[in-house]
Amino acid sequence: MDKIIVHAQNLHLSYKKGEPVIKNSSFSIHKNDFVFITGKSGSGKSTLIRSLYGELPLEKGSLNVCGIDLQNVGKQKLNVLRKHIGVIFQDYKLIKEWTVEKNVMLPLMIAGYSKNVCTMQAHKLLKHVKLLHKADKYPLELSGGEQQRIAIARALAHNPLLILADEPTGNLDEYSSEVIWDLLKGAHHHLGTTIVIVTHKIPSTLGINYRHYFLDGGVINEVS
Amino acid sequence: MKSLKNHISVIIPLFILLFSFEFAVMLDRVVKNYEENLFNDYSIVIASMSKLDEENLKKEIPLIKKLEPLSTKKVIDKFKNDFSPANLAYLRSSLPKFYSVKLKYPPDEKTLEEIEKKLRSIPSITKVETFEKSYTKIYMMLNFSKVISNIFTIFIFIISILLIFKQMEIWTLEHQERMYIMGLFGSPFWMKSAVLYKLVFIDSIISAVGVGLFFYFVPKTQKFQEIMKSIGLDFSGFRLLDDMSLLLGISIFITIFSVTLVILRQRTELR
Repeated sequence: MDKIIVHAQNLHLSYKKGEPVIKNSSFSIHKNDFVFITGKSGSGKSTLIRSLYGELPLEKGSLNVCGIDLQNVGKQKLNVLRKHIGVIFQDYKLIKEWTVEKNVMLPLMIAGYSKNVCTMQAHKLLKHVKLLHKADKYPLELSGGEQQRIAIARALAHNPLLILADEPTGNLDEYSSEVIWDLLKGAHHHLGTTIVIVTHKIPSTLGINYRHYFLDGGVINEVS
Repeated sequence: MKSLKNHISVIIPLFILLFSFEFAVMLDRVVKNYEENLFNDYSIVIASMSKLDEENLKKEIPLIKKLEPLSTKKVIDKFKNDFSPANLAYLRSSLPKFYSVKLKYPPDEKTLEEIEKKLRSIPSITKVETFEKSYTKIYMMLNFSKVISNIFTIFIFIISILLIFKQMEIWTLEHQERMYIMGLFGSPFWMKSAVLYKLVFIDSIISAVGVGLFFYFVPKTQKFQEIMKSIGLDFSGFRLLDDMSLLLGISIFITIFSVTLVILRQRTELR
């Protein structure tokens, strides 16, 4: 069996003593999996993603991501986990005061690489997402599609084991969405990165094998 | 423009805080200096029918530093032409012995009263003049000015600290999104907060240098020196190395402390 990247057992997630959003869910995600998590609005898709990068503490059960147990995890271990993960959001979450190049360099700077290495890797990735010519621009000078390509370049910069994407094409037009799907597929295919995407709709022309989990009533079920 | 406004919002309260602090330090120095001069010129005058023993008197009143006999020659000389030598000799023998008493440190009103009482209790002493009224008046005035200056400094200090805290909160909120995003990629605390520390460090230096320059150059102006001379104050001035280090130290400590406190408060809200 392939190495397990995410393993959840009887997972319960809730917001501050409210009704559980995720109830008694168990699932595993293996290395090099391409996973879609779908569900209705408010079904807890984003909550689940937030718990995978450690932003939301567990209420009950266990969750292991990239070999780190997230039950009662400390700040330092959480930082270690996040160095193995690349995150992509619907609203891009780029640092607007920084140039495109510096945004892409962020995970490398955190990992402690020298400025030269950071710049080289950032340029390589910007070339890959076809935005090298906009390296000196600021995020707000770019279109939504371009910003999301920068967010993908940033998520890939430190060669993470796992990419978590929360509605990565939610704000984009059809053409920009296709570019984003191609980039994610490329990362999965060429780098062997495990990709977990939360979305309300799986693209029909994806052309790769993927696993599909469906969230319903707070319980996660594997569809295919 | 926004960035300049942000800097000024920290620099101004910090400048005022450091200014009032340095003002209090300078005033304290001037007052101390004045007090020393006043005390050096001050002595109690006593008249005694018999010779006084300095050691015995010191045992009785430990505050006494020195007992100096005052010469009566000048008084007797005044009558040289009017009195016969026999009468002069009589006058010389019947005049009491005058002494000047120097103290170890400036006494307050109560201590001075106690000293006077003890001196008066010595049978041979017939007269004690402490010049209490004029001495106490100036002494109290100096202490009062010191107290007022210290209270003023404390008030300014509190208000400035509150203003700095408010500005730090604004900065932290402005940087919150960036810090959150950096945290998503595993950035350690120091790296997320580095920008804020850099900003306050620069502002601390600007404020401290500004106050330092003011207190270094203004007392050197002719006008200032003329005023000081006219009111009889000896202004020892700004000690470049000591005072500048002190100002820088306080400035950096206050800003680093406030920014850390504000960040830590925000940090508990972000996982």
